[in-house]
Amino acid sequence: MMPRKRVAITGLGLVTPVGNDVATTWDAVLHGRSGGAAISVFDASGFPVHIAAEVKNFDAAGALGDRKLIKLTNRSHRFALAAAEQALQDAGIRPTDADATRWGLTVGAGMMGVDFADLAGTQRHSAADGELHSDLLLTDGPANDPVAFCRSNCAAGLSLLTRRFGIRGYTSAVHTACASGGQALGTALKLIRRGGADRVLAGGYDSMISPVGISGFCLLSALSPDNATPQRASRPFDVSRNGFLLGEGAGFLVLEEWQAARKRGAHIYAELAGDGNSLSSYRITDSPPDGDGPIQAMRQALWSAGAAPADIDYLNAHGTSTGMNDRSESAAVKAVFAPDVQRLSVSSTKSTMGHLIAAAGAVEVAVCALAIRDGLMPINANLREVDPDCDLNFVRDAPRRQRVRMAMSNSFGFGGSNSCIVLRHPDETDAAIRGEAT
Amino acid sequence: MSATRVVITATGAVCSGGKTPGDIFAAVRDGKSSIAPIQQWDTTGWPTTLAGEIAGFNAREMVEDRKLHKLIRRTDLLGLYAAGKAIDAAGLAAHRDALAADAAATFNDRTGVYVGSGSGNFENQYDYFPLLAAAGGSLQTFGSELANTVNPMWLLRSLPNNVLGHIGIKYGLKGSNACITSHSCSGSLAVIEGMEALRNGEADRIVAVGHDAPIEPQMVLYYHRLGLIATAALRPFDVARDGSVFGEGAGALVMETEASAAARNAMVLGEVLGGGEVSEATGLLAIRDDGDGLARAVVAALDNAGIGPADVGMIVAHGNGTRASDASEAAAIRTVFGGDAPPVTAFKWSFGHLIAAAGILETTLALEALAQGVVPGVAALNELDPECAGIPVSPRPQVPRSKVALILCRGFGGTDAALLVSAA
Repeated sequence: MMPRKRVAITGLGLVTPVGNDVATTWDAVLHGRSGGAAISVFDASGFPVHIAAEVKNFDAAGALGDRKLIKLTNRSHRFALAAAEQALQDAGIRPTDADATRWGLTVGAGMMGVDFADLAGTQRHSAADGELHSDLLLTDGPANDPVAFCRSNCAAGLSLLTRRFGIRGYTSAVHTACASGGQALGTALKLIRRGGADRVLAGGYDSMISPVGISGFCLLSALSPDNATPQRASRPFDVSRNGFLLGEGAGFLVLEEWQAARKRGAHIYAELAGDGNSLSSYRITDSPPDGDGPIQAMRQALWSAGAAPADIDYLNAHGTSTGMNDRSESAAVKAVFAPDVQRLSVSSTKSTMGHLIAAAGAVEVAVCALAIRDGLMPINANLREVDPDCDLNFVRDAPRRQRVRMAMSNSFGFGGSNSCIVLRHPDETDAAIRGEAT
Repeated sequence: MSATRVVITATGAVCSGGKTPGDIFAAVRDGKSSIAPIQQWDTTGWPTTLAGEIAGFNAREMVEDRKLHKLIRRTDLLGLYAAGKAIDAAGLAAHRDALAADAAATFNDRTGVYVGSGSGNFENQYDYFPLLAAAGGSLQTFGSELANTVNPMWLLRSLPNNVLGHIGIKYGLKGSNACITSHSCSGSLAVIEGMEALRNGEADRIVAVGHDAPIEPQMVLYYHRLGLIATAALRPFDVARDGSVFGEGAGALVMETEASAAARNAMVLGEVLGGGEVSEATGLLAIRDDGDGLARAVVAALDNAGIGPADVGMIVAHGNGTRASDASEAAAIRTVFGGDAPPVTAFKWSFGHLIAAAGILETTLALEALAQGVVPGVAALNELDPECAGIPVSPRPQVPRSKVALILCRGFGGTDAALLVSAA
């Protein structure tokens, strides 16, 4: 049997609440500098929660350099286009006329929705009394504006990215809430393995920091209400945690078939080595207390990577800072890594970046790639007193310097989808390939 | 080519044409259309009023559990209905429940769900209109009155992945999964990615479902303003065609490895042979005149299946009735098949364009066509557009030249998908 194709991570791009590029984000994440602050993009002072981790000082015109294009984008699309550009520049390769059909695109996309200003405009014109009058829609501004439609369509991000970068192969957008970004990378991994593409631009993007987005989470009491201490609001695995801090942003990776990447002399951060993917089938928002569901995702990712639990040195946890998730995830990690779970270093970088929802998985896999590159594991910020139910070996106070042979990233979503991605140090992969050859 | 064969052991479907693949297919075969004036809102004065709405839509008939109705939307009801019918017909739960506890747990872990979802709508956001009206432009009031005005479950109702989550919960399925939100190609992509999950050993059984309910005022209006909606009828490949018509509904397939189906003595309806999908990189709305993307998707599907154009027995065209799509689709068929294309048909003229559900629902109908040995005529076709010449599409029924059907699907973002299935 032919050895299975392997997948190299050769480019990274990040736009996050703690930095608008990879280097700035990585430095902040390593040292736990929080992106939490009072919401500035709209007047949130009347909302039960008025803090979030916003992307700051993002210059869309500078990053995208095309004003016509910006009209067709919502906030999350702009983050996506900027992060994808960074990733392609970092990889030093982009689609050409000759190979565009062998490039794929897989994205974890945020929920479709109209911009709040458009929604409010339609309300004023067509629903002044609070109820829609469909006859008035015929003369409504936003409801007749094709550009407003383009921004709101579920295929908008995908079409902006394929057109901008000339990607003409397989494209897929996935939405499984907070698991979206991880599943998009899993989709890309499988696509390259089966020969459906040679290179894939893969990632996630989201922005729910808007009146409607914040409202949705407030109504579910999912957010930390610590309005006075936004930088402390996200404290995964701490006994006093009380909800997540909503973030926004985008993460993109350039993925290439391993031999093709080696042949062109690309810098390889890591092998994207395994994908695991399960359903909890428990409740739509609740996590199973015993970790059932996440357990299967982690085991499947190990199987997909041809790895054992003892091979993993670092886990970037889903760690949302909600009571339930962190308890359930800890139970799952203990089940999978028993009896040596204390050997595994764990941190949730949502402690600094907040929760980037559909972008979270992709951004956190990029963080794992950086941990492998530098042999440095970022801290779980704001961890003062570990919840006794979450007694894992957390990276606290200072980044941990240790060679990372393999890293794992968890992402679990509303609806019960669980995604787990495993990465391998490139030297380990090269050694394994030499082993296969002999 | 992959060694693992992926068989189809059940189908389910619902749309304006009927509530089973058999009934919907019979309507198409008999030349009946269920496209009619929209009933969901008053269309007096509207420039466009046609759609394939499910008449007498009854939420309880779709999903019996009333408690669930508050947590999900119309599109989700449709998806859960079609998927439930397919799962029941395949006997998945009955088989699992007869197993010992350990084997049942493994069965659940090895059974996945792949969904193509319409991924959102406009109406759900109107739930904020009363609050916006009360706040009168003050975001501060909007924030402070929020909890008194809006359904606390609003975000859950809005999730694009509700069908995925609720199939899992209802049937206890815990395997490999995705919810794909790639506009019209979503349902076809659910089949492709589900098939690949079976081939690569991630799962033994996959429930694939696509669902959508796009017939709502703001959506219809946008498509009309973009010039995509027909004035009087959806006429694929016709010289007088002037646009598409929305439908609503869902289609579902239960797919299994050949070994899984054999182990539980499941009846095999057919096989998923392969699939392909590509982007034209032309932006959200534009498509290439030469059909390049669709032709490449077909070639990718043929390669994926390990068969050639001559093996294809019939083509279910996307045939959405717009000027640009039908002409470039005909060009793509000519490019791949030359002068030797098998009989071509299209279904959307009968029940409308189901967007995210289109490709998978039409796949369930293609299996009916192969089983009955009938390629239905396109009853809405009066005069073939010379731009669409050279493809064997007809208002009269034809006979498939083999047991293999090619199902085409095209979506916004210049995406094109092709599926190949065979009947047992």
